[in-house]
Amino acid sequence: MAAKPGSAPVTYSPNLGQKTRPPIFKDNDLDWVRPDGRGFHQCRPAFFRTGAVNSASGSAYAELGSTKVIVSVFGPRESKKAMMYSDTGRLNCNVSYTTFATPVRGQGSDHKEFSSMLHKALEGAIMLETFPKTTVDVFALVLESGGSDLPVVISCASLALADAGIMMYDLVAAVSVSCLGKNLVIDPVLEEESYQDGSLMLTCMPSRYEVTQLTFTGEWSTPDINEAMQLCLDACNKLGKVMRTCLKEAASGSQE
Amino acid sequence: MGLPNASGDLSTEVEVDAFRRLFPLRFYEKHLLESIRPDARPLGRARETTIALGAVASANGSALAKIGSTTMLAAIKMEVMTPSLETPDEGCIGLLPLAARFPVSLSLLKTPGRPAEAAPVVAKQLSDTILSSGMINLKELSLVSGKAAWMAYLDIYCLDADGALFDTALLSAVAAFSHLEIPVVSLNDDGKIVLSEEQGLSDREPVNKEKRKINLSSVPFSLTCVLHKNYILADPTAEEESIMDTIVTVVLDSSSQLVSLQKPGGTVLAYTSAIQDCIALTRQRVKELQKILEEAISGMEVD
Repeated sequence: MAAKPGSAPVTYSPNLGQKTRPPIFKDNDLDWVRPDGRGFHQCRPAFFRTGAVNSASGSAYAELGSTKVIVSVFGPRESKKAMMYSDTGRLNCNVSYTTFATPVRGQGSDHKEFSSMLHKALEGAIMLETFPKTTVDVFALVLESGGSDLPVVISCASLALADAGIMMYDLVAAVSVSCLGKNLVIDPVLEEESYQDGSLMLTCMPSRYEVTQLTFTGEWSTPDINEAMQLCLDACNKLGKVMRTCLKEAASGSQE
Repeated sequence: MGLPNASGDLSTEVEVDAFRRLFPLRFYEKHLLESIRPDARPLGRARETTIALGAVASANGSALAKIGSTTMLAAIKMEVMTPSLETPDEGCIGLLPLAARFPVSLSLLKTPGRPAEAAPVVAKQLSDTILSSGMINLKELSLVSGKAAWMAYLDIYCLDADGALFDTALLSAVAAFSHLEIPVVSLNDDGKIVLSEEQGLSDREPVNKEKRKINLSSVPFSLTCVLHKNYILADPTAEEESIMDTIVTVVLDSSSQLVSLQKPGGTVLAYTSAIQDCIALTRQRVKELQKILEEAISGMEVD
């Protein structure tokens, strides 16, 4: 089968033409229902499981609606010689998408910034001084993208780090809110994200009530910001509890 | 096990672990003498195998295959392409021979954090196997003769690696193809193929009649064995593969015909009898795998 490299035929996906799709909400904001039937301030049910990958030092799998993420943590291992001496540890993060994660094949590679955002969100929570001269690698793979990908990746990564026994001040939980017209919707799905006027993502350490990362994009008014942040903090608190339960279950399961 | 004074206290356990790390080959040989492996399997038995179909909803067909803790996720996305003109002899019918550049694009096997040197080897082996087994009739992928045909992109991701990578990859690929559902499409005014429902063209005659499944004629299954002296260990773990480096991979199809056989070097010379034993083990394994796949498919139909 001598398919010459570069001679691959041009292909297109049959569901490309989505421009004709009707908007998900009409002029009257109030009658609008979310695509999955949730309330505006209701998160998707979260499922977490640690220890999904045996060959890694720690790993976690997260599923929120159709967003599915697997994170594996390797290390701490010796830093490469080329790196300067450092008495704190290094954190190396990488977020990638499978080619089939997005509705159109191979679109997920546009998210180069996610790796550095994941790094910045976790950095503040990890006690880097506990593993000097070494590097911890965090590899996140988005198996299926269903909206709110980055928050799920961040929460899942902190759980994987905990599973690997990396010292942290607290777990990191992340939640995002989309602003659609006059409404704030929490934990948006892919469809809502594509129509949003603005988005806010907040990552925090729930038991310390400290924020590690906060990003805004788009158009926001001050009262909206206050409301959205309060929503996120509450949701992070709840998400943190779910994550904690998952860790406890894994720990009690391994003791038996 | 083969060790003296195994009273089970902590000190012996530590010693066993140290012995295993220091003299891995001798550790294994002691086990092999007793016809057992450190994970309590007999030599010829494969690890527990599971298949979950439809793991990824955004793909047209997907499957998660697990052999022991080796985990592979395979997914197929269908896209439309214009078939090439250089069709050797069948161009007259217009059912397009995609054979020259079939589908299998394998951005395969990137276990995070590991130099994926095994990846290209497994990818090549896999695309050869899928093509030469005649599992898929490429003519079924034709839509409009000379104008449009399906391109089935198959991508396999290795989520966890613990030996027998090829077996797991092939199993996940086969399972993904058996889960594949081809969407209903029609030709729009611009001559492009679009999904019938989404474009409101449901009144128009679809190019492919109903949601179609691909007919898998002869399904290939494989078993990897490790040879060491006279022993044959089926379905090796990563540890076993690294200690005993002679590997034989046999691929048989569902009617027990030999599709491919690979013995990429190694320190042990394989005698004909050893190869025959490997094939016999594979024949058994094919029956097991067929049953597992059938159960997975019938489980999907109940839902």
